Amino acid sequence: MSDKGIGARILRKEDHRHLHGRANFTADIAMPNMLNLAFVRSGIAHGRLVRVTKPADAADRVFAFDDLVGVKTLRAVSKLPTYKLADYPCLATGKVKFVGEPIAACLADSRAEAEDLAARVAVEIDPLPPVMDMVASRAPGTAIVHEDWSDNIALTIQIPSDIDEVVRTAPVKVSGEYKMSRHAMVPMEGRAVLAYWDDRQDQLVVYSATQVPHLNRAGISDILDIEQRQVRVIAPDVGGGFGLKALVFPEEIVACWLALRTRRPVRWIEDRVEHLIADANCREHHYRISAYADRTGKILALEGEVTVDAGAYSVYPFTNGLEAAMAIGNLPGPYHVPAYRGKAYTVTTNKPPLAPYRGVARPGVAFAIEQTIDAIARAVGRDPFDVRLENLVPAAAMPYTSVAKKTFDSGDYPEALRRVARMLDLPGLRERQKRREPDGRLIGVGFGCYTEQTAHGTSVFASWGIQLVPGFEQATVRLTPDGGLEVRVGVQSHGQGMETTIAQVASTTLGIDPARVNVVHGDTGLTPFSTGTYASRSIVMAGGATSRACKVLATRLVRIGAHLMQCEAKDVQVKDGKVVGPRASVEFSEIGRVWYMRPDELPPDVDMGGLECTVGYRPDPDYGTFAYASHGAVVAVDPDTGVVEVLDYVICEDCGTMVNPMVVEGQAFGGAVQGIGTALYEESPYDDQGQPLHSTFADYTLPGATEAPMIRIDHMISPSPHTEYGIKGTGEGGNIPTSGLLANAVNDALRSLGAEVHETPITPRRVLEAIARARKAAA
Amino acid sequence: MKQVTMTVNGRSVTQLVEPRTSLADFVREQLRFTGTHLGCEHGVCGACTVLIDGEPQRSCITYAVSCDSAQVTTIEGFDDDALMADMRTAFHENHALQCGYCTPGMLVTARDIVRRLPDADEKRVRLELSGNLCRCTGYVGIVRAILSVLAKRKAA
Ligand code: FES
Ligand code: FES
Repeated sequence: MSDKGIGARILRKEDHRHLHGRANFTADIAMPNMLNLAFVRSGIAHGRLVRVTKPADAADRVFAFDDLVGVKTLRAVSKLPTYKLADYPCLATGKVKFVGEPIAACLADSRAEAEDLAARVAVEIDPLPPVMDMVASRAPGTAIVHEDWSDNIALTIQIPSDIDEVVRTAPVKVSGEYKMSRHAMVPMEGRAVLAYWDDRQDQLVVYSATQVPHLNRAGISDILDIEQRQVRVIAPDVGGGFGLKALVFPEEIVACWLALRTRRPVRWIEDRVEHLIADANCREHHYRISAYADRTGKILALEGEVTVDAGAYSVYPFTNGLEAAMAIGNLPGPYHVPAYRGKAYTVTTNKPPLAPYRGVARPGVAFAIEQTIDAIARAVGRDPFDVRLENLVPAAAMPYTSVAKKTFDSGDYPEALRRVARMLDLPGLRERQKRREPDGRLIGVGFGCYTEQTAHGTSVFASWGIQLVPGFEQATVRLTPDGGLEVRVGVQSHGQGMETTIAQVASTTLGIDPARVNVVHGDTGLTPFSTGTYASRSIVMAGGATSRACKVLATRLVRIGAHLMQCEAKDVQVKDGKVVGPRASVEFSEIGRVWYMRPDELPPDVDMGGLECTVGYRPDPDYGTFAYASHGAVVAVDPDTGVVEVLDYVICEDCGTMVNPMVVEGQAFGGAVQGIGTALYEESPYDDQGQPLHSTFADYTLPGATEAPMIRIDHMISPSPHTEYGIKGTGEGGNIPTSGLLANAVNDALRSLGAEVHETPITPRRVLEAIARARKAAA
Repeated sequence: MKQVTMTVNGRSVTQLVEPRTSLADFVREQLRFTGTHLGCEHGVCGACTVLIDGEPQRSCITYAVSCDSAQVTTIEGFDDDALMADMRTAFHENHALQCGYCTPGMLVTARDIVRRLPDADEKRVRLELSGNLCRCTGYVGIVRAILSVLAKRKAA
């Protein structure tokens, strides 16, 4: 074991280049003879594309759908019954289906000139009535987005169950409607691609801001119909992803196709306006929930209807159905729900496609369920903390299989909630609420609890029947001749610090200093296959594979080391970065020297695989290990202006064995502040003609340092029984409970006014409207 | 095209630029100082922050031609700056960066906060950071890093 291995709060290896401005993002790469790409995009939400007229002097630099010979549409398949295909053409054809949809691609030496050219392309569109409201557009007789469909419903999922008896007899029933608004994911680096043909390698080389290089390669090869050996995807430094960059999009395919066609490097760098109006959005969910409980607030049954506004097209490869499937499967949350009936719809509208964003559906779920718990508490006249505590799955029940067939592997959910209440000083806050604030603001407290299924693998994705099902994750490890270590993994790190944490896993297994470990990731040419970084899977999967590979490498080091020390392999072990025998020890560098340079000194029965091996790993069982947390917050609401301020925010989380607590905390803080964005600020609204009302950071508000509280955090550690070292995933969880608990806190604050808000973002306008509604009802 | 002469990171450069070229595009594409990042290109996110004549400015909404005879410092130009060295160490130690995309702009602003406001408290630091957006860190590490440099300077 080393003191820099698993569990150590070591500083990150990746920081240095970023701190000195020497990182290498896709837009930082320039190539001789490079062309830049800009798109002509639809200004109409729904309409028939009549004509695209290219400027006569530049017709050979402008490309529309008919020019894309040999390019397939992006088709995201799913085996879920009722799923309808909503193919995403790389350039619009027939109808345009959202404002921002790419219609034509324009090439020039610089981006500015490409944009000049795009401005000269004339587009004629016959407008059609747009479909904008997901709930209304479920009804028959509305306009239809996809002409070959009979309605706008892309997918219907039901979890049937007989709860009629409980519905009839339960003493307490609460019902509510909850809406999480559409917004954008906003990694600070937008999407980016630079593609060129390499004749020597017979390969299309694609630098891409992607979380999933191997999946990207599969997609590019499939859609352009070229062999996979002819595509190499390299993710250089990537400026955040959050799910957006786990997909393959039309613009990237068009850039690759143009590189093949022109045989010149072609670069497309998404700008912020494109990101906000034309890129995939996230989150737009609508819930109708009824909960049935006894008089103490103990849940007897739950009934939910979820509608997801998936926009115009189905995203490749995760589909537009994944959100609804995740929502309906996770609705009972971390609570013991004896009976459950659910129905979920995915609806198509004339908006950009919806894609899974950090937390995937579960922030919407928690928004609905956490408010439902508070509604139950209000109905039975108890503190939401107590009702929550009594409904959480208790530690003694672990492992626990939920009514929605999820198996929670380990943990003490109520204890996390108790710790959060202590950190906030709940009794003190309740007293403070009675005293009222000197500035006239209203104070509210909210809690949110969740479980996050992380690193769910083959069995889960296969049941959804999507294109690419994750399987065994592999890592390649190689001892270098001077005793250093290279680890190659197919995932991609874009802020998660895996160049450090994967090295820590190797350090624990081999005792080597992380400073002597190079983690190579994000390049299909250099790493074993992986479906990539999403589903909070990377440290569990790639970390697990690294550990297994290091263990195999250790057996080979031991064999050679024992021979050099002239003792039995059984008396030898790898320790502190050395091979240690009963009387002597051998440095890794010595073993490296012998294998690579002096094979005459090797034992005759040496493993010919040498000091390099690739080993696969998958947790057993593979249905995912469940991280969990409770978050709590205190807000102040100004009843005159409607402004909400987060005064305090605390987290108690448990992601099993922590590889690096500093990195875990960073993920939790960042996730929670993104959650504050969803809860209070971020929204991509449209008018009734489908025109986006948000196109810059001036009208789309991200949380800044003044909106973010100094979050406090506590950890619990319940190792997973199913994974290497008991590690659970932790990348996404931070923003799952935030909207729900902030809605609870705001509604707690507004309680004396009888007002409630059930829609994100909880803007001053929505707060004031809720207060006005309550006053009107009371009058 | 118009000819400009300016000092960038201590070296005098004379180049032809289009009048519409931003300073950000100029340093990134023409001088290849790619540490200056673009997060919005409309003056809100602060990723493109550089020093012009010692003051933090948004290079995405500054024309290169308007910087004739100016002293421009990008993130690549602070190698001999003791305050920036402290700030870099503090960012590293406080996990003030994840993806690193906002980091160059953040550092330029953070250094300026310490230089101008030696007595700034947490609230003031956050206010001063309102022109720099970070999507990854939740600002916890960034604010802690700046406060730690302020404290260190005070103690010295
Ligand atoms: S890129 Fe200049 S402020 Fe955002
Ligand atoms: S570290 Fe990613 S945007 Fe700040």
